[in-house]
Amino acid sequence: MKRLWFARLSPRRRRRTRQRSVGSGPAGSARGENPRLGLTALGLVSWALCLAAPIPSAFGHPLDDETRLRFSGFGTLAAVHSDQANADFVRDISQREGAGDGWSGKTDSLLGAQLGYRFTDELDVVVQGLSRYQESGHFEPELSWAFVRYRPDPAVQLRAGRLGWDVYQLADSRYVGYAYNWVRPPVDHFGTLQLVHIDGADVTFKQPVGSDLVRLKLYAGRSDSEIYLTEGLSAEFDVDQVYGGNLDYETGPWRFRVSYTQIHSDVDYRGPVADAIERVPFANLDPNNVLGDVFGFDRITLFSLGALYDRGPLTVQAMVNRSKVTRYEGQIDSGFVSVGYRVQRVTPFVMMSKVKTTSTHPDGSDIDQQTYSLGARYDVAANLALKAQLDRIDTRSPGFLWRDTDSDWRGGWSSVFTLGLDFIF
Amino acid sequence: MNRVRLFLLVSMLLVAVPAGADILVVVNPDSGIRTLSRSDAINIFMGRYRKLPNGGLALPVDLVSLKPRFYRALVDKNLAAINSYWARLVFSGEASPPQQSQSAADVHHLLAHNPNVLGYVDSETAWDDLRVVLTLDE
Repeated sequence: MKRLWFARLSPRRRRRTRQRSVGSGPAGSARGENPRLGLTALGLVSWALCLAAPIPSAFGHPLDDETRLRFSGFGTLAAVHSDQANADFVRDISQREGAGDGWSGKTDSLLGAQLGYRFTDELDVVVQGLSRYQESGHFEPELSWAFVRYRPDPAVQLRAGRLGWDVYQLADSRYVGYAYNWVRPPVDHFGTLQLVHIDGADVTFKQPVGSDLVRLKLYAGRSDSEIYLTEGLSAEFDVDQVYGGNLDYETGPWRFRVSYTQIHSDVDYRGPVADAIERVPFANLDPNNVLGDVFGFDRITLFSLGALYDRGPLTVQAMVNRSKVTRYEGQIDSGFVSVGYRVQRVTPFVMMSKVKTTSTHPDGSDIDQQTYSLGARYDVAANLALKAQLDRIDTRSPGFLWRDTDSDWRGGWSSVFTLGLDFIF
Repeated sequence: MNRVRLFLLVSMLLVAVPAGADILVVVNPDSGIRTLSRSDAINIFMGRYRKLPNGGLALPVDLVSLKPRFYRALVDKNLAAINSYWARLVFSGEASPPQQSQSAADVHHLLAHNPNVLGYVDSETAWDDLRVVLTLDE
């Protein structure tokens, strides 16, 4: 079964190899079939790990007698089938190429490993590496976190180093498939996120109020990332300031969150579209100015609200976010609602998500779509979950949430079916 | 007649054997803690807020063999749901799960040597030197 998925990976990719020179730097020429090889290797490694591991009651493996050093990890092996012939499906805007009509394994498959060392009960370090299909167009591992954590008191936590971008609920664990019921967090809501991690520091305060809990987290740092607007145009973010905070209120099974974030960046636009602007005769145009004027990504503000209800077998989750950019009153509005109910080992769920961008720019490529999802998670063991999900996507305007879009495609309905295997070790 | 006797015998046995033993949350008496509320226990074992009523840092310990029953009684979740919950916190670097102990003797050892440790045992395991601070009905 697993071999079949691999054998069917992206046969139609080949006709597009000419477009592979798009994007950044020296890696371009060597890309070839790397994604596929990378994925196969990833799959084999993950399977070996899965099969080798006994079924544990908890995950993580102490590597020494005093359990100071711990090794743990997570991964997803997934195959996506899309019926959309006019455009390719992506999980988020860091993915240069998407899943065309037919099966694809690269959209959601990933592998992460984490090493933790505890000096004392107050002080520890955590390092995490993640291999996923990302900006470079293949699965090269990246350092996702590397931080020192200090907890002088149960009510205070300080972290410094490379941290997950905790911009809204679930954002800093969006690649840990085992942690949620869906095959992936809703693309409409999480797909437009610009950053994965920040290099900086955060501080968390907790204060009980009766049997409730208030939690405040503040963070600041810098970052860099690359997002794709089309296969021929990417925006490289050199984020010199990202800061924000979130306030959580936990009462019984409820958890509410309000968040605010600011991102200040130098944005460098790359790819054939940027090159074409530069080559316009006599105009002497700087693509960064021209495109920066259209997208206004140099300063982004995010406001977000989230609510989670988690009691026994029932999980209900809802979030909304508004991101504002500097130019033409541009904004991205998104949100989703999801309900899951566990019956023994099976957790069926439904979800509805929506994203809409608006701008007063006449040539703006707006996104307007909503997605209805239906799926189920089956807990094979306490460290292994099998998932199936059907997304019916109603695209009114694809904007930059799809790849390799036919020039005359204005939107329509797409069905995306995903089978996934999530594991932790 | 024999059938009636058998019926009575079986009925008596069914009444006499409890549906399931309770689970006791225990601490070292030196901790000075007398009772713990259910929401305190949830905060501590689920990594939300690990402060003991005496102000100290709570160090929860899971007894692997009893874990499925304990979390079923505490938050009505199975082991997969508990692991899924912790996967989010561990892999986002927010919190660490309780230390895992393989045997009741290990839990006892940890409790006896550290007044900040919180453990749980089956109500049939009697340890006179430890104090029960919360009883969870199953």
